[in-house]
Amino acid sequence: MRPVLSPRSLFVALALALFLALWLSLALGPVSLPPGDTLRALLRLFGLPLDGEGAGQAELILGQIRLPRTLLGLAVGTVLALAGVAMQGLFRNPLADPGLVGVSSGAALGAAFAIVVGASLGGLPEALAPYLLSLCAFAGGLAVTAVVYRLGRRDGQTNVAIMLLAGVALTALAGALIGLFTYLADDATLRTLTFWNLGSLNGASYARLWPLLLVTVVVALWLPRRARALNALLLGESEARHLGFDVERLKRELVLCTAFGVGAAVAAAGLIGFIGLVVPHLMRLLVGPDHRVLLPASALAGASLLLFADLAARLVLAPAELPIGIVTALLGAPFFLYLLVRGRA
Amino acid sequence: MRLNPYLAGLCAAFLCARALAAEPLPQRWVSVGSSLSEWIVALGGQDKLVGVDSTSQHPAAIKALASIGYQRQLAAEGILSLEPDILVGTEEMGPPPVLEQLEDAGVRIETLSARADLTTLERNLGRLGELLGDQPRAARVLAGFRQTLERQAAWVAAAQRDQEAPWVLLLLGHAGSRPMAAGRDTAAAWLIEHAGGRNVSEHAGYRALSSEALMALDPQVLIFTDRSLDGEAARAALFRENPALAATRAAKDGRLLVIDPTLLVGGLGPRLPAALAELSAAFYPTARKVSQQP
Repeated sequence: MRPVLSPRSLFVALALALFLALWLSLALGPVSLPPGDTLRALLRLFGLPLDGEGAGQAELILGQIRLPRTLLGLAVGTVLALAGVAMQGLFRNPLADPGLVGVSSGAALGAAFAIVVGASLGGLPEALAPYLLSLCAFAGGLAVTAVVYRLGRRDGQTNVAIMLLAGVALTALAGALIGLFTYLADDATLRTLTFWNLGSLNGASYARLWPLLLVTVVVALWLPRRARALNALLLGESEARHLGFDVERLKRELVLCTAFGVGAAVAAAGLIGFIGLVVPHLMRLLVGPDHRVLLPASALAGASLLLFADLAARLVLAPAELPIGIVTALLGAPFFLYLLVRGRA
Repeated sequence: MRLNPYLAGLCAAFLCARALAAEPLPQRWVSVGSSLSEWIVALGGQDKLVGVDSTSQHPAAIKALASIGYQRQLAAEGILSLEPDILVGTEEMGPPPVLEQLEDAGVRIETLSARADLTTLERNLGRLGELLGDQPRAARVLAGFRQTLERQAAWVAAAQRDQEAPWVLLLLGHAGSRPMAAGRDTAAAWLIEHAGGRNVSEHAGYRALSSEALMALDPQVLIFTDRSLDGEAARAALFRENPALAATRAAKDGRLLVIDPTLLVGGLGPRLPAALAELSAAFYPTARKVSQQP
């Protein structure tokens, strides 16, 4: 498959797209602010001593609502797309997505546990309650991924095929347990669960943002350092080993990055499908399989796509809001199909 | 010049009263929860409403207002775009971070209880009356509601002298899926009890029942909350799909009732007395109607 674009033109296009997405995400919303006010409020937030009338409202909406939301979208999109590249590289299969190692279903199980048990206990400590859902989702994702990884280990080696099957089995098991929780849940709890499963950037706050931003930065700096090793892995495990790469360590790092990255993203924003599967695939269609280009390109494209999807989610039904998972699938799936059909012709 | 202490006191009191009255009443309201929105309209606050949630469907006029979506998934900026002074809802609204953001933006958040009982209603109406600046009207509306309920209770007591209370099952239907049966501690249970029926299901909350459990409960009256079930053809289709339902006494006697599902959201609402009268008339077909009583 020949690349359609040169890496340089792709990066220019992606950087422009991300800049546009960031600006629109800050400038547009159900409350309409003049662009001048948005810019002034933004500069004030970054500490520039500008004054202007009506800045209070703009500063509040930007600082407390749009900026954390935009940063959340940026982090979630980046980390989901990077985890997608890591998983497609690890399994050497373009259909792999971060859910394969069980992190999504584990997180969903943790969330279901928190929502249903939390609702039936009722009396959680005030300070802990808002974080319980995120913590449980994160812990659930890590725990299930750890079990999958452990099951794939044999004689000091990680067998990717067994890991894949273990992931499928544990996803089924987690699905059954989630089913049990939904059975125990009452009607209202059930709806909370349904909405969580569709994901949302709504209600982003800095307190929940920082851990995710930290994880995202670490993953985004770490994975590109392994781009050569990932390229070697494309040839096969033994080939990569003969080329001098520590394949076992690479696998461990890929699983670890995915578990922490996707775990943190899901904990902050719920399940958002499609980014992890479609974005790496799309980038591969555009620039070919070289991970040195694929990783940063996917990070940029994932962030842009998620921010655009969120923009649609909050504007289409304003003042109400759509769950973002619906939008990513609605935008992503037809585009993906179009590329597949065009590629075949 | 010497001031008359009495006069000075009066002046001070007057100034205090002015200062208190100067605390402005909220003028732009967003209401969350079907019953609350209906009460706000019943208390004369319709002109102040600028937005409602997706369950607020009555009276028909408020459907034209901006919809802020599902009450557990509110969006801060969407609500702020309506420039509300106050957001009134129940403890069911959320998520909490969004409520915090709204509060930071200067929107007053008034959380009332959605419990289905009269004490809660009394407290809620009192608070709404205060916020709307018309407490006498709130008291009047509450008294009227109480009176209707008392009349209703008396009617049920009279009817029960001639006829035993029927066993009733209320099914919360989402078209196509398995219906959920209403158990203890639900607005549905309150409705059944006050209409003079006995709820056959004993679990707490809403649960999906198996076909066999449905047959074993064998209710004498079935209540559906699915508006699409109005009409013979729709019911015949329902029974074809659920033979267990068709085997109940209620189906054999044709005692199937339909109520509006929004009656069950957000505590006791102003349309309840009418719904109760209708239900109890169907529970006790031989008794005279509530409205026909002296």
